Amino acid sequence: MGVGHSASADAATAGRTAAAQAVAGRDPGLLIVFSSTGYDFEHLLDGVRGEAGADTAIIGCTTTGGIATGPGGTDAGVVVTALGGTGLEVRTAVGRDVSARPQEAGADAAAGVAGLTREHRAGLLLCDGLAGVQHEVVRGAYSVVSAVVPLVGGCAGDDMTFRRTHQFIGDRHGVEVLTDAVVGLGLGSDARIGVGIAHGWQKQGEPMIVTRSDRGRLYELDGAPALDVYLERLRADRSLAADGEAFQNASFAKPLGLSRRTGEDIRTAHAADLEDGSLVFIADVPQGALVWEMTTDEDALITAGAESCRQAIDALGGAGAAGLLVFDCGVRKARLGPAGVAQEIAEMEQAIAGAPMAGFYTYGEVARTRGARGMHYLTVVTLAVA
Amino acid sequence: MPLHWSTHQLTEFFAAVSASADADAAVRVAVPRALEALDADAGAVVLEGETGVRGLTGLPGQLRAEQLSAAVAGAPTIDLPLLGEVNSAYAALGSGIGGGLVVARLDDEFSAEERQMLHGMAQVLGLALRNLRTLATERALREEGARRQALLETLLAVQRSISRREPLQSVLDAITDGASGLLGQVPVALVLCDPAEAGSLIVASRAHWPEPAATASVVLGPAADAIAAAQTVRRRSPSGDRMTATPVHAGGLVAGSLVAAGLGDADSSHVMTAFSQQISIALTDARAVEAMREAYRDPLTGLPNRKLFAERLDQSLTGERCHTAVILFIDLDRFKAVNDTLGHNAGDDLLAAVSERIRGQLRPPDVAARLGGDEFAVLMVDVSIEDARAVAERIVARAAEPFSIAGRVVHIGASVGIAAGAAGTVAATEILGNADIAMYRAKRTGSGRVVVYTADMHAGETTRLRLRADLESALPAGELQLTVQPLARLSGGALEGVEVAARWRHPSGVVTHAELAELAAEAGLIGEVGRWVLRETLACLHDWRRLRPGLTAGVSVCAQQIADERFVSDVAAALENRNLPGSALVLQATEAALTADPVRAASTLRLLRNSGVRLAVAGFGTGPSSLSLLRQFPVDQVRIDRSFVSGMTRSGADLAVVRAIVGAGRALDLEIVADGVQDAEQAEALVRMGCHLGQGNHLYGPMEPRLFTGLLRQGRALPRLTDPLTA
Repeated sequence: MGVGHSASADAATAGRTAAAQAVAGRDPGLLIVFSSTGYDFEHLLDGVRGEAGADTAIIGCTTTGGIATGPGGTDAGVVVTALGGTGLEVRTAVGRDVSARPQEAGADAAAGVAGLTREHRAGLLLCDGLAGVQHEVVRGAYSVVSAVVPLVGGCAGDDMTFRRTHQFIGDRHGVEVLTDAVVGLGLGSDARIGVGIAHGWQKQGEPMIVTRSDRGRLYELDGAPALDVYLERLRADRSLAADGEAFQNASFAKPLGLSRRTGEDIRTAHAADLEDGSLVFIADVPQGALVWEMTTDEDALITAGAESCRQAIDALGGAGAAGLLVFDCGVRKARLGPAGVAQEIAEMEQAIAGAPMAGFYTYGEVARTRGARGMHYLTVVTLAVA
Repeated sequence: MPLHWSTHQLTEFFAAVSASADADAAVRVAVPRALEALDADAGAVVLEGETGVRGLTGLPGQLRAEQLSAAVAGAPTIDLPLLGEVNSAYAALGSGIGGGLVVARLDDEFSAEERQMLHGMAQVLGLALRNLRTLATERALREEGARRQALLETLLAVQRSISRREPLQSVLDAITDGASGLLGQVPVALVLCDPAEAGSLIVASRAHWPEPAATASVVLGPAADAIAAAQTVRRRSPSGDRMTATPVHAGGLVAGSLVAAGLGDADSSHVMTAFSQQISIALTDARAVEAMREAYRDPLTGLPNRKLFAERLDQSLTGERCHTAVILFIDLDRFKAVNDTLGHNAGDDLLAAVSERIRGQLRPPDVAARLGGDEFAVLMVDVSIEDARAVAERIVARAAEPFSIAGRVVHIGASVGIAAGAAGTVAATEILGNADIAMYRAKRTGSGRVVVYTADMHAGETTRLRLRADLESALPAGELQLTVQPLARLSGGALEGVEVAARWRHPSGVVTHAELAELAAEAGLIGEVGRWVLRETLACLHDWRRLRPGLTAGVSVCAQQIADERFVSDVAAALENRNLPGSALVLQATEAALTADPVRAASTLRLLRNSGVRLAVAGFGTGPSSLSLLRQFPVDQVRIDRSFVSGMTRSGADLAVVRAIVGAGRALDLEIVADGVQDAEQAEALVRMGCHLGQGNHLYGPMEPRLFTGLLRQGRALPRLTDPLTA
């Protein structure tokens, strides 16, 4: 696995530089592109294509920040990962019209897994992070993937502007720039593949019931307007909700946790609707759910990154990691701030002991290893390849 | 109540599945959600008559229904392609849809609770599939939509009552209210199995039941059938109503049944079945079994509490098999004193020991209960009053035997009231109330009595209630009067003092001092009446001491007066008001009054002692710890109870008691008063023993203060006509 990074303002230069660093003279089967939203994607991907081999597949998406080993890795810019070599096989696929047919799109994107022949397999999904139905996409993907195949991935971001995200799929001859899509990768390997999941949050206080909601729109908690109930927990009034940025800062610090058998599914409100008193989430908050206010501290948040890496490497059964892919929540990034992020990355690098690492800050993380639940938020998901 | 994830996941599941537009969509929604809720890895729906499976998740490709047949047959593990041996669970869809939901998990086995939830999910899916099959017209779909919404809202309401940790009863009431609302306001009852007694059922909640008291007779039969069959049953009630009963589970076991009357169609039955599945999850969440125990059992003794007892009584009175119900209402005597003296833990131990002794006297079908405090009750069915009385007397006898509590020997007693009622003619509350009245009557007539309720007691109780109400106006109306009875030196007959009491000249007749004290205590007016007696007594004494300097007056005080924070200052103010020394007043208290709150009583009485007021222990010798009182309290005078005095010339035992008291009193240098001296023989014997003072008709009878003033004025005539030694 090779990793390249460029913060060049020029799209073509950035693409070419990052890809060249990642390829480094080899002939990878796959290039994965994680890009900030500020670029002209056509030029950017032209730059990447120029470094690709004849059989190299290209996938990727926009982000809320890239992650790459080495200095400056988490700045805005482009991160390119090269995967390949003997004992590794990759098969890409795409699911379109995610918001209209999420389960089918998920199944389409995971189709590459079915054709894998190597002993160890995993599915990777890069989904539009603003479709609001990402969990359905993962359900759809899971319906065509065996329970013994883990699923990982992340939801594409747009630098926290919540307007539009993009997904990329193609090869040396051309790369499609899509929205409302999910790009999938079937990854087969002779060596083991490990997955790590950690978040560092815990529930606190009294739980509430979601008495009215529609997908990601939460109208009522305990029979009262959700916004008011939530603001009360934040010890704030509606003036906070009127200031979008201030509200996000507050809500990122106090997400909600949906009660689940093995823990809590975390959800973050990223906006409030003053008119109908609802809260807006990028993921579903099901009616009838029991939710807790979640809390954490800086140390637990930072440590979650390294913890996730350790889990993934431990799952390799003693084999060293050839590289790691990281899907870290964008809200975590916002919450930690630059210093916290730097420390998180430093601890992760220490945990992986020099292996290359690449990834991005997401709008939601995919990880399914046991059970059917695969969509996570405010979480760090890692995939280690031996 | 601990909160659990499952109820909430089930409500989520319900909301999602019931909104599906067609059968395929419902299955596609259901399977992954079931897997997520259970953290299961693979799952599918199998439908009767189909060779393939639907909604297969977690396994690529095709699976034949027969590959899941082991799971359908109930095997805990099955072999699946790719996954190998996995833990499996299956639940039938119900609602007339043949087939079920199969889930598989690689790591952990499915717990009973998880299987229960799967069951609930399968029922919801079955209901949704059935609706989708049968509701062809748009109107029917619309109506179904409204009903679905109502069901969802009801479930949310139940769920909220659980998550808000409302008491179990509120949760159960939300369930029956909700079910009744969903089914068109038909009567609905929730019957639960008594966790402490196998085979015993309780009507835990009812909604819209026209005759609440008669619910048990109608619902218990169908409920028992549904519980035994573990499925929905339909029956006719004795009056011909259609009854539908469906089992309710908690923690994977049948915990009771939801019963509805008058459901017309099969649809409603299906709704009810689906609803009961949801409720099962809710009950599991609410930890209903433990909560039931808490809600219906007294934790100290393990006996049914008042609520369960009333429920049982209700069942007896409305059941077909019972003809007569007899209640023993048991109240412990002197329990409070033990509780206060030895502490609450000892009191608890004593209650547990008493409950064991009560249980020991009962037949298997009899039901004993602790109604609260030191009150117990026993329900006996189809026994004669005589037999019930025999049981009551055995209970009284056992209660009077000493208990060994906290390393001490403790004596208490019990009073029992008995009331009976024929099934179908009397309400549970009435019969319990009657037994209560009889118990009070027993208590009033002395410790350790058994009294059978008679209708005239009710009248007596009504009179008592009226008197209680009238008492408040008795003082301002000037209806209370003092009576005095002189106290004389037995040797020589010199007048030493008077004992003052109050009585009430009520328009309907005179209320004696003892009755007045009891009524005032019941009405919460004892403080006021006591202050009045003290004030009036000292006013009279002030006049009398002019005629006979050094005369003392004795006044009875009860536990409540001694416990009153104002008591010391009231006494001081009354004395000061009449310019009397403390030594002019003797406060008479019984052992029970002193030991109700002994620490506080001792400190109050010491304060009074400091101002010269003297203390007499009345009824000395009748209590369990008389002698220790003398050490504990600043006692000046002991009064030998009239029961010993009256028997002393006939019974050697009584004589021995009197002798012992006099001996002890003299040894401790206390003044000794014999109460109820009736004749010269008694007086003579007392003098020989060395008893100082006496009171009784042999010496002076009770009289009005005016008359006593007259006697004092006569001066020389005073030393009574009789010289006790020569008469």
